[in-house]
Amino acid sequence: MNIGTRLYTRLNGELVGEDAHGNRYYQSREAKTAPLYRRKRWVVYKGRVEASKVPAEWHGWLHYTCDAPLDGGARAWVQPHLPNLTGTPAASVPAGDERRGGQRPAATGDYQAWRP
Amino acid sequence: MPKLTIDGIAVDVPAGTTVLQAAESIGIEIPRFCYHERLSIAGNCRMCLVEVKPGPPKPAASCALPVAEGMEVRTNSEMARKARRGVMEFLLINHPLDCPICDQGGECDLQDQALTFGADRSRFQESKRAVAEKNLGPLIRTAMTRCIQCTRCVRFCTEIAGVPDLGMVGRGEHAEIMPYLDGVLGSELSGNLVDVCPVGALTNGAYAYTARPWELAHTESIDVLDAVGAAIRVDTRGAQVMRVLPRLNEAVNEEWLADKSRYAIDGLKVQRLDTPWVRRDGTLKPATWAEAFDVIARRLADVPGSRIAALVGDQVDAETATVLKDLWTALGSPHLDCRQDGAALEAGARAGYVFNTTIAGIEDADAVLLIGTDPRAEAPLINARLFKRFRKGGLRVGRVGLSGRDLIYPVEDLGDDPSVLTAIAGGTHPFAEVLKAAQRPMLIVGQGALARPDGAAVLALARAIAEATGMVIEGWNGFNVLHTAAGRVGALDLGLVPGEGGRDAAGIVSGCAEGAIEAVYLVGADERDLSGLGQAFVIYQGSHGDAGAQVADVILPGAAWTEKDATYVNTEGRVQRATRAVLPPGEAREDWKIVRALAEALGHRLPLDTLAQVRARMVALAPVLGRLDTLAPAGWAPFGRAGTVAATPFAPAVTNRYMTCPITRASPTMAACVRAFLNGNEKRTGTDG
Repeated sequence: MNIGTRLYTRLNGELVGEDAHGNRYYQSREAKTAPLYRRKRWVVYKGRVEASKVPAEWHGWLHYTCDAPLDGGARAWVQPHLPNLTGTPAASVPAGDERRGGQRPAATGDYQAWRP
Repeated sequence: MPKLTIDGIAVDVPAGTTVLQAAESIGIEIPRFCYHERLSIAGNCRMCLVEVKPGPPKPAASCALPVAEGMEVRTNSEMARKARRGVMEFLLINHPLDCPICDQGGECDLQDQALTFGADRSRFQESKRAVAEKNLGPLIRTAMTRCIQCTRCVRFCTEIAGVPDLGMVGRGEHAEIMPYLDGVLGSELSGNLVDVCPVGALTNGAYAYTARPWELAHTESIDVLDAVGAAIRVDTRGAQVMRVLPRLNEAVNEEWLADKSRYAIDGLKVQRLDTPWVRRDGTLKPATWAEAFDVIARRLADVPGSRIAALVGDQVDAETATVLKDLWTALGSPHLDCRQDGAALEAGARAGYVFNTTIAGIEDADAVLLIGTDPRAEAPLINARLFKRFRKGGLRVGRVGLSGRDLIYPVEDLGDDPSVLTAIAGGTHPFAEVLKAAQRPMLIVGQGALARPDGAAVLALARAIAEATGMVIEGWNGFNVLHTAAGRVGALDLGLVPGEGGRDAAGIVSGCAEGAIEAVYLVGADERDLSGLGQAFVIYQGSHGDAGAQVADVILPGAAWTEKDATYVNTEGRVQRATRAVLPPGEAREDWKIVRALAEALGHRLPLDTLAQVRARMVALAPVLGRLDTLAPAGWAPFGRAGTVAATPFAPAVTNRYMTCPITRASPTMAACVRAFLNGNEKRTGTDG
């Protein structure tokens, strides 16, 4: 969080809630909002700033789709939210990649090198 | 010379020509399935129907119809087209519509001709028949439901391969092609069945479902897995050789190819040397080229040339041999030998180490003496030529040594004792009379007869037989040496034999053991027992990790024959060029470049920087290598060394016909062939378990 966001949040923000990952969600205080405008909503990320860290239940609220965040744990089949893992060690790699054991079907140009 | 008209064009062809051949001679192609130029005429597919006048008012099969004076043939009349469309409709009644999953798709005669001559729909409502698959061994995959009963495979087996195992059994709808006896097809030319089959009934087992013909790039090259030098086409996709097909070369392989040459290519994918290796503290470690040359240069820095030796392997091309010869001259070492099996061949007289009769010349011979050779195992295509000559009638074949082996034509066994040769040379043996009475007698000396301590005496004896029985006359030379190594003749032409005071292959190995030789350079030499090299510093250069790599101190990765532009000389002395189809794997390089770089590391910069320079130098060393694809008779000159021949029977040069070099030993298909065909009856090599 840069200094501008920190200052703005201190002056204008009203904490709405916190998600399972520790991201905190704010909206502007009613008193600070002009009468004909809607209340501004924003998120303060925990750790790295990465938009995909926002889970679905807060995503709807953040984009003014719903008035309150949804209940994420309401249904047993809902998977826990995962941010975009590209570029991290947990990133998805295809089967056959060295990081997945290197087992893949034979392809043109393959050869088996001699080892003593 | 009957005169006839075909589609209004007057033709004049020799009597006995068929209408189909006459039409072909003026460029009119008549569709056919069962007709094949090199097989007998069956006339059972009926696809070649044409309208002929005068004659009965019905179409006639042009492949089986001899031309006659005044014949009027129409190949594209309404009657002919209707007849062909009807034949095609009948053929397709029982042919499955599985082109999308058929390996022949894209190169299928039935597919092409159905498109051109067939109807656009079928009137057949009934059930199609299905035929059980046959087991023809690991090389041929069958889908006999697709068979159209052209019987080309039956005729090929009977007439070319000499193994009459296949036949058509049953009548009408129940007719099917099958081996008469259950079991694999015991021919070493069986891969050609895939080529003669016009549909997808017999397909290449090793290539099954791996590629489509339109994906492949074609490179015309030369086969090096035996010494026949068959013309081949290497089909590649990307960096991989997918299959090898024969090319037409009437003088060498006609249009056939031996199974080993066709199927061993999967050995190019395994056991490959793709980086230099250096032995450090007793174990081989991967290295860079610079490190490898540095290790060699430092080790050989103060070793005199007289203590360095080189053994040249069986598949070494003439370019590599040229550079190696120059390097050894520069080093001042006489220890250089290309005959790693110890064959007593001399580099001097070319007539003494080539197949003088030529392969096509076999067809003129009328008596043959085989000396310590099994052409069926050593050179299947030469054996097929002998069989072709036998089928014309009047050929007598005698054999000394290796008796009892089944060649595909009758052979008179004269005994295993080499002293029979002395009797033939002296004219006291009955077979000497056969050879003398023959107009064109020939003899074939195998490597098994020469690769023994008294090999030079056997060679001299063979020469004496050739002279005593009139084999060397004006326009005919019946003295033949049958090689098993593709690089041997080229290396002998370039003189890669021990110089003054030099050691031969056996001497080099024993010299290493006793310390007289300090360093030995194995250029693709794997076929000798290399366990006795003692403390010598061993440099191995080759494409595969085989016997040589196991004992090496430095390994330099070379290229296989599909991976370099190279010159090979076949057993006849025919100079041919192999063309690069793919690149060598990893860090491997073309062999002549490695030797050239090694020379520089050793402080002898050779003025051979380009392939053109190497080839110019090659021709300067051996002018005969400058004449590509043509043969000139070699002059008859003295060779061999008279002496006593021991009574020990000749040992076979090829103990396992499917595994004769590092590539074939690495090949899974060849291992499957050994299991299926040799069945433990022939001695296996050390590497197949």
